Amino acid sequence: MNIFQRVIVEPLESLYEKILHFLPNFLTSLLLVGIGVILGAVLKAVVFRVLKALNVDKHFERFGMEKMLGKGGIKEPLSVLLSKLVKWITVFIFTIIALRALDIPSIERLLEGFFLYFPNVIVAILILFFGYLLSNFMGRAALIAAVNAGSVLSGVIGRSVRVSVFILAVTMALEQLGIGRNTIIITFAILFGGVVLALAIAFGLGGRDIAKEYIEKKVKGEEKKDEISHL
Amino acid sequence: MAGIVVRREIQEKIGEIKEADILVGIPSYNNARTIGHVVKAVQAGFAKYFPDRKCVLVNSDGGSTDGTMDVVQNTAIDDYQAVLLHHRVEPVYKITTPYHGIPGKGSAFKTIFEISDALQVKACAVVDADLRSITPEWVELLIKPVLQGGADYVAPLYLRHKYDGTITNSIIYPLTRALYGKRVRQPIGGDFGFSGELARFYLTKEVWETDVARYGIDIWMTTTAVANNFRTCQAFLGAKIHDPKDPGADLSAMLYQVVGATFDLMETYDSVWKTVQGSEPVPTFGFQYVVGLEPIQVNLTRMIERFRLGVKELMDIWKVFLPPETTDLLHTFGLLPKARFNIPDEVWVELIHHFALAAHQKVINKEHLLKSLTPLYIGRTASFVVETSESDAPEVEKKIERLCRMFEEKKSFLAKNWENRGGLS
Repeated sequence: MNIFQRVIVEPLESLYEKILHFLPNFLTSLLLVGIGVILGAVLKAVVFRVLKALNVDKHFERFGMEKMLGKGGIKEPLSVLLSKLVKWITVFIFTIIALRALDIPSIERLLEGFFLYFPNVIVAILILFFGYLLSNFMGRAALIAAVNAGSVLSGVIGRSVRVSVFILAVTMALEQLGIGRNTIIITFAILFGGVVLALAIAFGLGGRDIAKEYIEKKVKGEEKKDEISHL
Repeated sequence: MAGIVVRREIQEKIGEIKEADILVGIPSYNNARTIGHVVKAVQAGFAKYFPDRKCVLVNSDGGSTDGTMDVVQNTAIDDYQAVLLHHRVEPVYKITTPYHGIPGKGSAFKTIFEISDALQVKACAVVDADLRSITPEWVELLIKPVLQGGADYVAPLYLRHKYDGTITNSIIYPLTRALYGKRVRQPIGGDFGFSGELARFYLTKEVWETDVARYGIDIWMTTTAVANNFRTCQAFLGAKIHDPKDPGADLSAMLYQVVGATFDLMETYDSVWKTVQGSEPVPTFGFQYVVGLEPIQVNLTRMIERFRLGVKELMDIWKVFLPPETTDLLHTFGLLPKARFNIPDEVWVELIHHFALAAHQKVINKEHLLKSLTPLYIGRTASFVVETSESDAPEVEKKIERLCRMFEEKKSFLAKNWENRGGLS
């Protein structure tokens, strides 16, 4: 009887106790997830309406972001994307709270690690987002300036500026995430230095005649200039 | 915002003069080389045409370092008989002052308006400090229509070479004429006459911290006068010859400033221009004559190359707001040989209207938008050069008139699509 009591009944009673202790936490967690889903849906609808009212999709289009997402296979407008994002962030936050409510030490340790790293991910995403906007803006400005200066390499100049700014943003984002910190900086420096050196050599060797012609024209004033007064 | 008249030395000068009939303002910045001639011409104009009026000359300077203000102070007509004038009994009052505020011609003008307001002036004029062709008659022509003809605003009318003032001829004049219905031929001429009442009206506008204070003051003054129904006329001043501008001056920056200011004014006065149909001439004063003008050298090949480069590289930007049929046409024009290169009036008007709508709807960054207009403008100028290579001045004027009528005909498209943010109809 004693053996039966110790081997079967006591563990079962202990399990029963644990279940009794765990069940309220579990139900609380389920409730929290449920609240998260409902609140997420409500916030999604609110954010969607606000973004529509602010005409965010049009502004987004102006920065060429719609095109970028389209290339990635995303066809939905920004207002839909952002409202969905708000919904899932809400659900995610409530899920995390629900997991903590379970009161399981191993899950708590995992969450702690995650929360310490999470801000870096957010900052890296923001760096990439604004880096992309800035690279498009700078690339377009460089392209227009190069075309107006009459440079036949204007397309290359515009693309180079755009890519350089975006690479810089990617480097900063990766550094923020702590991925190969030194390696990335060295790689970027080598790449950037390499591009400058390649351009210098290309101009020095390939562009000797062009440079000569240009300097000759400048010195001798051979080029026929416009005298139009535009205003 | 504290105006220039709160400064003690200006107050003292105004207290000394008390009231005046006529004021001529000269905005300047490092114009020591040329401003002496302008001051002499203005003084001679006062002596010859307004000997019995109280006249004031105001130099509003942007912080010159070459002694411009000293030249103004020290310049006087020594021998009036040498220029066949009677010596004035009353001296010409001079006020030379550095202007305050954002650096630019607009801030210089604001100072002139403030002084004219403080002196209760009846008629004012402003002339550029780098003019070489100004004569005493300019003072008469800019002031008399106001003083004796009941005008509020006198725009200049110059003799210009057919390739001179191409932004004015291909964009600013036709567009403002179609928008506001008045045929002011040189809306950004730079030398204007206006009534004291209009100067006071200008001062009531809250634009002195905006781009108007930097540049765009010329088109702002003309448009404000016309759109607010001030009586407008123009005066024939002859040829305009001024110090050569910096040859490195960036054309795209120029386009951005002038066209940008014109587009901004379309926002301010949209309720006015939408109701205007057609256009009417404004009274013109002065004896019109023809003189030979120095030929202008044009590198047509390079201009067409610039247009082609723009079509090749900037098409992705233009496609955001230009309809496909227009972009197809631009490709076609790029293939034309030099002798037959042509951008027709109709297409040019459509392009300008689409750029105006894109600026209004903020489709892309405004500076990028307007600077991307440069290759198209160069292409249109090349087309104009090809078309008018054998034309004399009256023929060229006829062609500009044809372009203006096209702007007027197609204005309904602009008005219809102004509020339509969802797409063009």
